[in-house]
This record gives sequence, C-alpha cells and structure tokens, in this order.
Amino acid sequence: MTPAFLSIRGLRQTYGSFVAVDDVSLEIPEGEFLTFLGPSGSGKSTTLYALAGFNEPTSGDILLKGASILATPSHRRNIGMVFQRYTLFPHLNVRENVAFPLRVRGQAEPEIAARVSQMLALVQLEAFADRMPGNLSGGQQQRVALARALAYDPPVLLMDEPLSALDKKLREEIQIEIRRIHRETGVTILYVTHDQEEALRLSDRIAVFNRGRIEQVGSGRDLYHNPATRFVAGFIGDSNFLDTAEVAVSGDRGRVVFPDGTAMADLPVHRSAPGGGATAAQVMVRPQSLRLAATGLPVRVLDVTFLGDTSTVQFRTDWGQEIWMRAGAEEIAGLSPGASAQLGWAPGESHLFL
Amino acid sequence: MAANASVPRRQWRGFGPAVPALVLLALFFVIPVVSLLLRSILEPEPGLQNYAELFATSTYARVLYNTFLVAFVVTAVSLLLGYPVAWLLAIMPQRYANLVLAIILVSMWTNLLARTYAWMVLLQRTGVINTTLMKLGLISEPLALVKNLTGVTIGMTYIMLPFIILPLYASIRAIDPTTLQAAALCGAGRWQAFRRVLLPLSAPGAAAGGLMVFVMSLGYFVTPALLGSASQMMLAEMIAQLVQSLLNWGLGSAAAFILLTVTLALYAVQIRFFGGMR
Repeated sequence: MTPAFLSIRGLRQTYGSFVAVDDVSLEIPEGEFLTFLGPSGSGKSTTLYALAGFNEPTSGDILLKGASILATPSHRRNIGMVFQRYTLFPHLNVRENVAFPLRVRGQAEPEIAARVSQMLALVQLEAFADRMPGNLSGGQQQRVALARALAYDPPVLLMDEPLSALDKKLREEIQIEIRRIHRETGVTILYVTHDQEEALRLSDRIAVFNRGRIEQVGSGRDLYHNPATRFVAGFIGDSNFLDTAEVAVSGDRGRVVFPDGTAMADLPVHRSAPGGGATAAQVMVRPQSLRLAATGLPVRVLDVTFLGDTSTVQFRTDWGQEIWMRAGAEEIAGLSPGASAQLGWAPGESHLFL
Repeated sequence: MAANASVPRRQWRGFGPAVPALVLLALFFVIPVVSLLLRSILEPEPGLQNYAELFATSTYARVLYNTFLVAFVVTAVSLLLGYPVAWLLAIMPQRYANLVLAIILVSMWTNLLARTYAWMVLLQRTGVINTTLMKLGLISEPLALVKNLTGVTIGMTYIMLPFIILPLYASIRAIDPTTLQAAALCGAGRWQAFRRVLLPLSAPGAAAGGLMVFVMSLGYFVTPALLGSASQMMLAEMIAQLVQSLLNWGLGSAAAFILLTVTLALYAVQIRFFGGMR
C-alpha cells in the first residue's frame, strides 16, 4: 500500500491521566479539504497542534509523503497555519507580514516582492499592502494571515477555528473566499471548527471528533444520511431522539415499539455506539423527515413557530418526550397549541441506535 | 460660545487638589533649576566661559567622557544580561516567576551602601574573586577590579539590572505567545524569531529601561565614589568636588546643567520613537 500524502497513525496525547487525543488515525490525500469537527475539548485542536509541532504526541506518528515529521521542529516543518486569534505581527505592515516567511527563508528581494503581490492578489487585499494590522478589520486580518501562511507554498495548511471571532455574515463571506483559495491553490487543508454548518459548507470530508476519538469520517452527505453513531447523528444536522420500549433486530433492520405502544418496522440499525450518553436503544429522525399522518405516533402540539420559508412545530409524545418538526407553512396550517396529531416518517429516513 | 467656554473649564476641573504638589514642585524644583542655569552663565561673570572651560579643559572633558562611557557600557551590559532574564520570567510558570521577581526586588531594596561595600569586598586585590581565580591558577597576580572604571561598571550594572528587567518583563509579557508560534510556523528559528519579532515588539520596554538606566548612571554618585578612583572620576563626583571643595558654583552648575540637558534630549528621543514611558 502506498502511503497517503498525509497520514496520522494511532495518535495519542495524554496530559497526566487526561486523554486529550485517543488513537486518532487518518489518511489524507493531497489537495483534500478535511475538517475536524467536534465540541470544544474533543481533541481536534490538539491533533492539529501535533501537526504544527506545538505539542509532542505521547505516541503515534504523523507522516508527510511517507516520512515522519515528528522529529522536525515547527520552524522546519514548512507547514502553514492560520490561528483562531489574530497573529499578524503588529509591528509590520500587511506587505511585510506576508513577506515575513520569505525573508526568514532568505529569499531575494525581487522574488519576495513578486510573491507578496501574488499572495495579496489571491486574498484580494492589494489595496491594503501598506496598512498596519491594527488598522484592519478582523476579516481582513485573517485574510492577511491566510496570505502569509500560503506565501511559502506549504504542502499542508492548518486552520484552527480561524473565523470564530467574526460575525456570521463576514464568516460566510470568508468561507466562500477560503473555498475559492483552496480551488485555486490546490493546497491540502486541515480545518478545525465546532460549527457543523461551516464544516459542511467547506469540506470535502469531515472527521467528527468526540472525547479524543474520531467517531466517523466521511463527506457531509455521508455523515448526514448515514451517521455511524448517536453522537454524529446528533451533531450533524438537526435531530430528534425517541426512546423505545421494545426492540427486535433482524439483520440490519429493526422493529421497535415506542413507550406508548406504537410499533414501527424496517428501521436501519446502527450497532456501534461509542459516543452518546444514553445506553438504551433510541430512534433518530430528522425534523424535516416528519410528516403529519393519518395513523402514526400520537402527539400533542406544544407550539408553532413561523420562520418565513418554513415553520417549526414542537410536539410532546404521550410518554412526555419533546419532538420537533420542520415543515412548509401550508402543511401545518391546521395546527395550534393543544391540538392532537399523528406523526409518521419513512422508516428508511430514521435510524435505530442500539 | 457658551459651549466653547465650558470645554476648557471642564478640562481644568479637579485642578484644585493638585495645587500643593505643584507649588512644592515650583518652589523646590523649577526655581532651583532656573537658578542653577543662571549661576552657570552668570558666575563668576556673565557668559558661557563655564561651559567652554568644561569642554576645553582636558581633565573635565575626561570626566565627561568617563561618565558617558560608563553609562553606555552599564546600559549595554544590563540590556544584554536583562533580556534573557526578562524572557525567562515571561515564559516560566507564574509562581516561579513571582519568586524570581521577589529576589530581584529584594536585591533592589537592599541598602545601596551595603551592596556597594559588598562588591568592594568581592572585587578588591585580596577579595573573593581574585583569591579564587589565583587558587584556580587562572591568574598569577590579582586583577585590578576595583578603584577604577571596571569596578564602577561592575557595581553599577548590578544595581541597574532590575531597572532593565522590570520594564522588559512587562513588555515581553504583553506579547501574545501565539504570535511567536506563528513566527515559528512561518519558518523562524529561535534567532530569527528573536530578531524579527520579539526584539521589535519589546523595544519600547528596552528603550524605557535603557533610558532610565543610562540617565541614572550619568548622575550616579555613591557607586563611583566607592568603587572608582579620584583619577577616573565621574561627573557627579566632580560636581560634588567643584561645589564642596572648590566652591566653584558656576562650573558645578554648568556641569549639572549639561547632565540635565542630555537627559532631557534623550527623553525627547525616546518619546519621539517609542511614545514615552508606559
């Protein structure tokens, strides 16, 4: 087997008795945009820092083009990074910030000038070349940081929640910019975020981190439609989890009886459940998979919220669990708080987690 | 019009309680300085002959040269020694940093004479340093470490170090550590990161500390008087001698005024480039 462009093998990072990263392995092809998605403290940033050389893994290995990089100090790894905080050098203007890695490498002045203007064009900040970082907006600073990180043509670009300090509108603007820059440069990007929407928007593949482990790696579509674990199902997209009273499994399909006696068959079964908290079997169904039905799960309407394009309805089951549905305005026209209704869904669109 | 008048009035509000201190400053600082200047140009007769004498007489010029040389060397050596200490303080865990800071402060607060005499004991011909070096066979006869400018420089560097370390420590601590991580990933090794990032970002602290040490060194009296010699005098000693022994107030005032002028000029330079003390 030829080694992947970048491989992370059995990476483990412990601090005393705390396991920050637990046996993380990933094979990353050249040019991929891979996002580490997970809640804070899930080990995604720690994994990224191991790549940057800021912490030394307890065990495991990281190979770039087949060779381990762990013995190489940060400043010789030739890896690019954009940080969560603004890390432009405050005493240098935009041009000199982008030139910094080239000057450190002792490149000739004409080369540096050419490369800097090429990079500033890439992030569309030519007009700001002489500004000091303090006179730039947060979004502009991160774009300069991006130009600085790409100036020396690194094989891998690390991005540690670079947009978390920006407001939503600006974030979306820069996400589009990052996608364009990824397309234009073809650089392999490892991106850390806790924002699932950002991950879905940007990535070729997403690695979902939870408690120091990777729960699932796949495209956004994969993770959404075929979540491997309860945690992934809960983290990617909106979801309802329903308790069950009885479960019968045959092959990869299962039949459940809900606590109120309603039965449902033909649900796709997921056995492995390392994440999540609950141990009892649960059925996961997306809010937009729910339909009002003639016969189904009997529920009572708690609240109806109009949100423009769609509306959401809050229900409560007979055994007291809350469940919500997203639907068009006309579909739920007759519903008002206190009314009873029956909910149904295509069994294939829900998942039974054992 | 009424609005215009109210602005300066608001700026002056709270002026009242400052009056005693300002009167004190005027009485005991501004007036003496002015009278100093007047004496330097009026005694024994009006004119600049006091200044001319200071620069033209080789003994006095020599003293000026010694003073600036020692102040410069003390400042440079303090900066060289202080940078690693300030850096270490900034990166070590807070409780250890507090301990080291306490040691620095205690040394600073210990009586100046006690510290200076201690150096005399260490540096003299039969002192600890010379006897140790001789026992080790590194030197065959004692080095002249005291009663000369070497002794003055050593003693003053020791006394001035905290004044460099503290402002440097403050300005290094204000630097975001991720900035240095970013520098490392950009390819900067230790030396490059120091030269291109840490040094420029801590320059205001170095300038503030350096200026303070240089100015204090120019006018220092106790250490040069104890560790130096009459043949290699420094300016403060010379002023004391001119005024006390020779009763030459005109010349003494001129020398003091040169010191004041140089100090103000240096301070102006610092404000120009680093925005003053912070």
